[in-house]
Amino acid sequence: MSDERIAVWLGSTSPQRSIRWLDGALETAAKLDPGKTGKVVALAAGGNNWLDLAADRARHAGVASAGVPTDLQLDYLGWTQIVTAAVRELGATTVIVDEASHANRWTEVAAIAEMLDAVQLTHVVKLGIDPDDDALVRASRVTGRQLQIVRVRGPAVFGVRIASAPVDEYPTPMPSTSMQRLELDALGLDPTVLGHRGLPPRTSAEPRKTVERIAEHLAVHLVPRGAR
Amino acid sequence: MAAVLVHIDLDDAERPDASSLVALAAGRHVASSWGATLYAAVVVHDPEHPSLDLTTDEVLTTTMPNLPKIGMVEDVLARGGADKVVVAVSRSPVEPLWAAVGNAWQGVIDHLRPRLVLFGANAPSAAELGPRTAARIGARLLLRARASGIDDVELRDRDGGYARASDGGAAVAMIGRAAHFRADEDADVDVVVLAVPGGADPRLELVATSPAEAVQSAATVIVLGDDVASDPKVIAGAKQLAALINAHLLGGSAAARAGAIDKRALVDRSTPLAPELCVTIGNAQVDVAGATSVIKIGATPTNRVTFVDGALPGLADVGLAELVAKLERQ
Repeated sequence: MSDERIAVWLGSTSPQRSIRWLDGALETAAKLDPGKTGKVVALAAGGNNWLDLAADRARHAGVASAGVPTDLQLDYLGWTQIVTAAVRELGATTVIVDEASHANRWTEVAAIAEMLDAVQLTHVVKLGIDPDDDALVRASRVTGRQLQIVRVRGPAVFGVRIASAPVDEYPTPMPSTSMQRLELDALGLDPTVLGHRGLPPRTSAEPRKTVERIAEHLAVHLVPRGAR
Repeated sequence: MAAVLVHIDLDDAERPDASSLVALAAGRHVASSWGATLYAAVVVHDPEHPSLDLTTDEVLTTTMPNLPKIGMVEDVLARGGADKVVVAVSRSPVEPLWAAVGNAWQGVIDHLRPRLVLFGANAPSAAELGPRTAARIGARLLLRARASGIDDVELRDRDGGYARASDGGAAVAMIGRAAHFRADEDADVDVVVLAVPGGADPRLELVATSPAEAVQSAATVIVLGDDVASDPKVIAGAKQLAALINAHLLGGSAAARAGAIDKRALVDRSTPLAPELCVTIGNAQVDVAGATSVIKIGATPTNRVTFVDGALPGLADVGLAELVAKLERQ
């Protein structure tokens, strides 16, 4: 791989169930820097508690961290504007996205790649330096019931769903002093303009508890009748 | 007139993918309601096609590629409701990767400038092409959307996103469900063949393809709990549900011993799973990612999975049978 930096986009809120996927994304990125030259940097945006957690897990994985403090709630294109501005500020050309910790974050992979004019690869389950050419990255991605193995050269955005070891408990993170803070205006972003991509947070709906409502939920996953 | 564009994947037998046809049906309902023209576009590769020698960056009309089943594809798309079929001849082999077909697909988008672009949510290319298309045209993105309404048809997804006739901007939707549509047997359709510029992105090379492991599924899984793994009714119901939603059936050691699952589908409580949807049956203990939508059937309140989207308490076999019956009627 080149010596250019690798950013790990951890998202805009804490992982919903487990931090092992966040840790997995960080560990995967760290393996792309076997010499530990410090070229990997974790990137998060959002509230302070989340940024502190992201910084703590990055420190745990042995990588640097940067955070964009904001209370905005944005759609995929809004977050992508923040990510790409921060990635450029950090001098990164490869971006690894933890797409497993939150629903719909995988859609940001393509949007980030589009804005960076980079190769994109979603649903990656294995990622590392190519054993035959250390200038390349080798990735395995899931599509349907198939696994595609690809080699990538140059700027790329990878959406990974790779878990680390299970973590039952972890200490409450202390406010981070090591995280590099990137303010929106310093990134050339106007919160008012970004607000046009605002997306109200989804209300925490009560779990569906009837056959009818669960069938409704599953109906969008049904195999078409003629193909069953 | 506004354009509604549906991306059509072809399956291994070079037939239109079933999920793409669901998107086409949704597109038909929307286009009829909005007064739009419905385009069904399929990207193909013909290694002998004369357009492969072109060096222009323009989208040009060209001759029909020499593909044995292209006539059948046109016929299926016509009967599926398309007003026009676009055959885009790619300079590189078609794979479900943006790096492989992104340039060709972009040529179609630039040529038609659609207001609404639809993909089958389960179509092979959807994950790679859908969000990138949306980002490229600055569109709203709907996931697992469905068409609803009779006179004023709109698209809605589970997160409250929608696309309506009165909207100003463009939208891209991954369609999870649509009412069936079938035109007359002799439905006529215009066919446009386009030579699209650009080939595969040389920065990405597809090295190999192999079957994925069940635990790597990014789509749907069903996990049998050990407490129900030897119940024939539950096993039968789980297999029926798996067939309905194209899910991998996973389970613990008891399920493997009972022959309910393949040994490669063995999971324990710490096996990391990150599918889009996970249905647990009985007291299955799973470690699923935050991105996963979880439905529990027949679980007791002690089951530790949090952020559940639905739960049917009580006897697993009863709940499962009712759910399967309900889904089979849809």
